[in-house]
Amino acid sequence: MRFYPLNGKNRIFVVKIETMKELEILTGDFSADLSLTFADGGVKAGFPSPAQDYIDRTLDFNRDLIKHPAATFYAKVSGDSMIDAGICDGDIVVIDKSLDAIDGDIIVGYIDNEFTMKYLDLSERHRGIIRLRPGNSKYEPITITPDDEFKVWGVVVHVVKSFR
Amino acid sequence: MWALVDCDNFYCSCERVFRPDLEKHPVVVLSNNDGCVVARSKEAKALGIPMGMPYFRMRKQFDESVVTAFSSNYELYADMSSRVLAILREEVPAVYQYSIDEAFLNITELCLSDVKAWGEQMALKVNKWTGIPISIGIAPSKTLAKVAAYYAKRYPGYRKCCVIATEEQRRKALQLLPIAEVWGIGRKHTLSLNNAGIHTAWDFASQTEDWVNRFYHITGKRTWMELNGHDVLPVDDTEHQKQSIVRSRTFARMLSTESEIGTNVADYAAQCALKLRQQGCVCRKLTVFARGNPFRSDLPFFKDCATHIFTTPTSNTNEIVEAALRMLHQIFRPDSPVKRAGVIIEEITSADAIQPDLFDYDPERRHKLDEISKTLDRLNALMGKNTLRLAVQTDHTN
Repeated sequence: MRFYPLNGKNRIFVVKIETMKELEILTGDFSADLSLTFADGGVKAGFPSPAQDYIDRTLDFNRDLIKHPAATFYAKVSGDSMIDAGICDGDIVVIDKSLDAIDGDIIVGYIDNEFTMKYLDLSERHRGIIRLRPGNSKYEPITITPDDEFKVWGVVVHVVKSFR
Repeated sequence: MWALVDCDNFYCSCERVFRPDLEKHPVVVLSNNDGCVVARSKEAKALGIPMGMPYFRMRKQFDESVVTAFSSNYELYADMSSRVLAILREEVPAVYQYSIDEAFLNITELCLSDVKAWGEQMALKVNKWTGIPISIGIAPSKTLAKVAAYYAKRYPGYRKCCVIATEEQRRKALQLLPIAEVWGIGRKHTLSLNNAGIHTAWDFASQTEDWVNRFYHITGKRTWMELNGHDVLPVDDTEHQKQSIVRSRTFARMLSTESEIGTNVADYAAQCALKLRQQGCVCRKLTVFARGNPFRSDLPFFKDCATHIFTTPTSNTNEIVEAALRMLHQIFRPDSPVKRAGVIIEEITSADAIQPDLFDYDPERRHKLDEISKTLDRLNALMGKNTLRLAVQTDHTN
């Protein structure tokens, strides 16, 4: 498959802000355009469907995946606590601060002076309990009560994985 | 109607976005090379830490557990500032940035039924999206909007938005405001005004026009008119008073020779100089910053900046580029390739005391230019960035 960079200044879009234990939060540069042709017909078993007219539109991650650039941050992941969610060590997650977190979301929270990424479990909220569930059975969920200093910092909306 | 959006303790708030644990904790930001305090959180002000306090002296007085100090990170502040502005621009077509942490919004055309509710909503939105707390002042003139923001910032009861719309609100706000707090009244003026028995903004605003004409030039007269609810300060003029200009870029590849980096830094410096001249301004302070790539773990992470102070404020391209290259030379290290570099221009003042633009100001022409920009933005939003651009801009299509 060939890709055609149509217009774009190739820019690395991350800026290092603060090194944290589990998550390193980065701020993005959304000013760059990088439109690439988009095989719209779906990729089946690794091959584009032969009949499709696949140069029909372009995809620009900044334009199409980042819905709220002013509220979007990136974070580099360390550790294996979310591997069942497909988020592994070294991946980059895209965080949208503008969204209201709902039950089941993967969120970036701040607890015990540290950023952490977990599933948000609000099913016991009526009892005054919020649970942060890891995506890895090796780890225990974190239980949060109203006495804890806890804050949802943002909602994870995408993950960027690199295979090489 | 004008809305002034003012970010609360901006530099400290930026740092706190990534350190939520410091939300109610005293925080200060230090100047280049950690020399002295350049920004303080509300809590740090309450401890009595003055602006400009040398860092070593502050440390003698306050332990690290009491006050958290950050080295300044202008890249971060510029990024957060552009986020706040982007949100404002989504809601309001006419946004005029006044400094890194302040912007005037012309909200007349929005035809809002409840400006107070709108302002509160904006403050909540910006805070949720970016983590930056803002205060909003809304009034018929920019100077009164500044007054309203003063109250919005100090009294939590306003829920981040104070409106001066009625005569009663204007009178109360001005009667409680010391004259020194009025935008455009300098320290020198305060003293002579106090000697004349004028202590509050109301005292000044309720003087007769004859009195103002007798004692003040055009700027004083305009302040007087603005305090009386007349919108006379042109937006171009707030542009003139812009407090900083930043030009920077992340390079496609790491640059390792001084001449390569220098070419870029010279470009940015020249752009800053042009911008200054366009605004009829001069600057006194120039900072060059450069850093390596945080993702190259094989290289030591490099980050540095250097500041030059011009003895005579300037907007001359030669002078500014030369100073920028000298600063680059100071921080350049042959063993540390650079991924991002930039130039920051600060302490910007008007090139001359009499601003000729004031007399050139033509609202009809301004309106036409605004319309052209709006059309341009609309088209580009619809059809992709740079679809429509000035011929002088870089052509990205090849």
